[in-house]
Amino acid sequence: MSNILLIEPNTLLAATYTRAFAHVGHHVVHVAGGQAAVDAADRRMPDILLMELQLPAHNGVEFLHEFRSYPEWASIPVVVNTTIPPLILADIESILHADLGVVAVCYKPRTTLLDLVRLIRECTSGI
Amino acid sequence: MAIGDDPVRVGSDDLLLSIAEQLKVPLTTIARQAELGQLTGDLRMTDVGAIGTQAAAALTLVDSYLLGLQLWSEQVELVMEPVSVSSLLVDVAHELSRFAQYYGVELELRVGGRYGPVMSHQRGLKAALLSLGFSLVEAEASRPERRPRHVTLGFHRTPHGLVAGMYGEYEELRADRWRTALDLAGKARQPLTAIGTGSAAGLFVADAIFRSMNSRLRVGRYQHEQGLAATLQPSRQLQFV
Repeated sequence: MSNILLIEPNTLLAATYTRAFAHVGHHVVHVAGGQAAVDAADRRMPDILLMELQLPAHNGVEFLHEFRSYPEWASIPVVVNTTIPPLILADIESILHADLGVVAVCYKPRTTLLDLVRLIRECTSGI
Repeated sequence: MAIGDDPVRVGSDDLLLSIAEQLKVPLTTIARQAELGQLTGDLRMTDVGAIGTQAAAALTLVDSYLLGLQLWSEQVELVMEPVSVSSLLVDVAHELSRFAQYYGVELELRVGGRYGPVMSHQRGLKAALLSLGFSLVEAEASRPERRPRHVTLGFHRTPHGLVAGMYGEYEELRADRWRTALDLAGKARQPLTAIGTGSAAGLFVADAIFRSMNSRLRVGRYQHEQGLAATLQPSRQLQFV
C-alpha cells in the first residue's frame, strides 16, 4: 500500500483515479493545486506524486521546482499525467527527468487506469 | 456581421485548437469512468451520472461551436427577435444545475428586476450562455480548496442595456486579462488563469456567438461578483404595445 498524492484540477477525473487506486489498496490524498499539494505533503509525506502539469494559478514545472527544493521531498518519485501532448512536452522532457526527478511522463488521454496502477506499483515497489 | 476588433473567429484554427484541447478533459473522464468498472470487476463503480454530465458538457461545446459557425457563415439566418431573457435563464440554469451539482458547485440564478424582452437570437443566446456556464462551472470546480464553490447566472440593467452573464469570485479577472486571453486562444495552453485551468474554449465560443449577434463578452461586475457578461438591447417592439 502506498500513499499517493494526486494533484488533479478536474475533480471528477480525480474521483475516478482515487477509486481505482483505492481498489488496489493505495491511500490517495487529492488536491487541485500546487499550494495545497505542499500543505498536504507537509501533513503526510507521500510515497509518490501523481500530477497534472496544468494547474490553476500555478505552473506544474514551477511547482516541481518548489517541491524539490525541500530536502525531505527530493527523492519522492513523481509521475506526470497530463493532457499536454507528448510532442509539446518533448521540449521540456529532459528538464522533467534530469532536473526534477520525474520518473515517468504519461499522456493522460491515452493512459489507462491499469497503466497507472502498474506504473505506481513499479515506482513504489521498493517502499 | 461581427463587431469589434480581431475576435477569436469562428472557424479559425485557434478556436478549433482550443476546442480540441478542451474536449480532452470530458472525453478522458468518460473513458476512465468506463474503465473503472472493468478494472474493479464491479460495473457499479462506474458513475453513469458522471459520464452523462461529461458527455453533456462536450456536446454542448460542440453544438455551440457549430451554431456559432452556422450563424457566422450565414447557414443559419440570424433572426433577431424579442427574447425573454428571464425565462431563457431559467432553462439555462436547469440544464447547468445537474452539471454543477456533480462538480459540487452552487449555481444561483439572480435576476435583478422585471425586465421586458431583449432583441436577440433565441438559440444563439441560449447556446452562448450554456457554453459560458459549462465553462465557468468546470473552472470553479478546479479552483483549489475553494469553499463554497459558487457561480451566479445573472441578469440586470445597466445604463448601456440589459446585461446577462455569469459571475463569481474572480478578483483577478480584469478587462485587459480577458483581452489577452482572446489573443492567446488556441496559442497558449492556459490563456485565462484568472478563471481556471484549461483552454477556456467554452468562453471563446460564447464570445464568438455573442459577436455574431452584435454583442460580445466583457468583464463585468454584478453585486460584488466579477464575471463575463454580454450587453443586450431591449426590444423596442413591445414598448409601444
